[in-house]
Amino acid sequence: MLELVTFGFYRFWLATDIRRHLWSHTSIDGDAPEYTGRARELLIGFLFALAILVPIYLAYFLIGIEAERAKAFASLPLFLFFYLFGHFAIYRARRYRLTRTVWRGVRFWMDGSGWAYAAWAAGWSLLTMLTLGLALPWRQAALERYKMRHCHYGDLQGSFEGRGWEFFKRGWWLWLLAVVPLTLLLVVMVRNWPAQIKIPPYVALPVLLLAPFLYGAFKAIEWRWWISGIRFGEVSFESDLSKSALYGLYWKVIGWSLPLLILLMVYIYLCSTLLVQMGLAPFAVFSTNGKFSGSVAMLVLGGAGYLAFLLAMTVVVRVYLLRDVWARAAASTTVFRLEAAANVAAKGELVSALGEGLADGLDIVGF
Amino acid sequence: MIDGGPETNPPAPQPEDTSIFYDGQSNRRHQVQLGLTDRLEISENGTTLATWPFKDIRRADGATGILRLSCLTAPSLARLEVRDAMLAAALSSRCSQLSDHAAGGQDVAAIVGWSLAATISIVAVIWFGLPFAADRLAPLVPDTLERRIGNAAERQIGVIFGGKTCGNASGRTAFSKLMTAISQAAGIDTPVRADVLDTPVPNAFALPGGKVYLFSGLLAKAENPDEIAGVLAHELGHVSHRDNTRNMIYSGGTSFLIGLLFGDVTGAGALVFASRSLITASYTREAEQGADDFAIQVMHRLGRPTKAMGDLIFRITGNQGDNALSILSNHPLTEDRLKHLSDEDRPASGPPLLTDQEWTALKALCK
Repeated sequence: MLELVTFGFYRFWLATDIRRHLWSHTSIDGDAPEYTGRARELLIGFLFALAILVPIYLAYFLIGIEAERAKAFASLPLFLFFYLFGHFAIYRARRYRLTRTVWRGVRFWMDGSGWAYAAWAAGWSLLTMLTLGLALPWRQAALERYKMRHCHYGDLQGSFEGRGWEFFKRGWWLWLLAVVPLTLLLVVMVRNWPAQIKIPPYVALPVLLLAPFLYGAFKAIEWRWWISGIRFGEVSFESDLSKSALYGLYWKVIGWSLPLLILLMVYIYLCSTLLVQMGLAPFAVFSTNGKFSGSVAMLVLGGAGYLAFLLAMTVVVRVYLLRDVWARAAASTTVFRLEAAANVAAKGELVSALGEGLADGLDIVGF
Repeated sequence: MIDGGPETNPPAPQPEDTSIFYDGQSNRRHQVQLGLTDRLEISENGTTLATWPFKDIRRADGATGILRLSCLTAPSLARLEVRDAMLAAALSSRCSQLSDHAAGGQDVAAIVGWSLAATISIVAVIWFGLPFAADRLAPLVPDTLERRIGNAAERQIGVIFGGKTCGNASGRTAFSKLMTAISQAAGIDTPVRADVLDTPVPNAFALPGGKVYLFSGLLAKAENPDEIAGVLAHELGHVSHRDNTRNMIYSGGTSFLIGLLFGDVTGAGALVFASRSLITASYTREAEQGADDFAIQVMHRLGRPTKAMGDLIFRITGNQGDNALSILSNHPLTEDRLKHLSDEDRPASGPPLLTDQEWTALKALCK
């Protein structure tokens, strides 16, 4: 089973264990793939990434100051660099994971350029933003084509057959339901700026209730479209994941977060009551007894509670949004013409975990 | 037999399709028969495909119920899968170092232990090491760099507040008279740059490089010149202690170190942000107390009451007492500071800092 608590440098071991678990519990034609990556590689990759990121951040800081001196907020375009860098890291991280994936004694591998991919991704993202998300299906299709074209299983080359139009046809109604009202709301808010707008509860509540359904449907459509587009040589995949397949999981996440949140509030309340009973003032901005040790204790206790809450939330997300989503997507998948992959010769070299380290250091995920 | 396991009889005849071998060169399935002599012999229809010494055989990840093996001296991706439980048991008993590389219970404990130790040492560095380092390093930062950072921030402020610095002539004269009196008393020879911004927020702050900003919201709340003088002296205290630079070094360092723990060097993630604000709160408090002491000295030299500034702060923050968020605010524990300011209060011995006319002009600066 999954280890439940992650902290500090143990995260590398945890991530590795989770992947080993997921890989070995997935079955392709009766055989489970094997994850051969090791946590030590991730740790070393992270340390290498630090050596690269630290000078970059210092340079970013100094260039940023110079740009700001010339013109206020002139340093904002520098974010673009980090956006590119993030996609580069995602590409390289995926490459690491793929070369650590072995099925029937032959490993997957990946070539292609992380920077070319990053530029490609940035261009498409810009277009997606300009079209308020309408171009998203074509963006995904273009990026998947690039990634899958450079994916290999032994000497079998991957490709991606999914078309943006297909994705669009299945999901356009979600766009209408989600993006259009959101844009309208934004426009109204900007118009009335700076007067504050109160969103009445009879608008907010249905939106909140609807959101998990919309997002769940979107993710299910995306998964199904993605899996059905994957090819390795003649081998093709087909997924029959239904739109409603992921609703439950998103509700489970919400169902766990609410009690956790309530627990946190109760905990903070109890802590402050306890401190009050001990004669200390937990929120002493101004009180009469002149002691501030209560505030410090509250700070430490509250902080510990908040950290515990965040860690518990990552566990919930891992269990439902990582493991269960994966399990459902995998279970919905059928493989066709696998005999085309019956005699694949081994090829491809291992790559370092630097990409994973960079992604870790930049706090981004993706695959 | 190498380790003299319990199995003495030759293994039972093997059912078909129980042992599959992949040679690591291609993904072709070899249905093999296993011979357990002094080493493991893997043969297909009488041809020996591989022989593995028992001591080199290691377990690899596989689906439950299937024993998947690799061998150190064979190609790294060669795999043998044994599906028959009896045979798997017989084979396992002969391989003495089957689970050598896998992290067992003890190893996990060691990893968790070291991870905890790393966490504790990082927290210790943040708590004790960084304040020390920031105090030592801040004086080494050249003035020119400080001023450059200040200029950059100044431009941003200009954009955010629409460049609305206040300025009718008589008000400005009063303001600069006040400012000159304070900076002379503080022993600062270089002219201090200061401005009043037209915004209802009651606040004042100093930029790196020494520019002081007063918000008209604070002017509106003030009832006499001593209150404003105290606040300005407090901000000059930040300037002369170089608190901005110290704080930058300190918070940059904390973000980085906490980022090490959670895997996010930018220090932008919610987790990092939360833990950082908790830890830095106590550090900022010390800086505030230092600036208060500075203000007290200046006011003593001017022969003016120190309590006035405390009254002003209380007037502004007094009604925030129940706000739980104030445990994280940068100016906490007003009560404590107010007490300190009142304790140091002396009856006025110097002349008033502004005439009534000048005070009226200053109050009307932004009207």
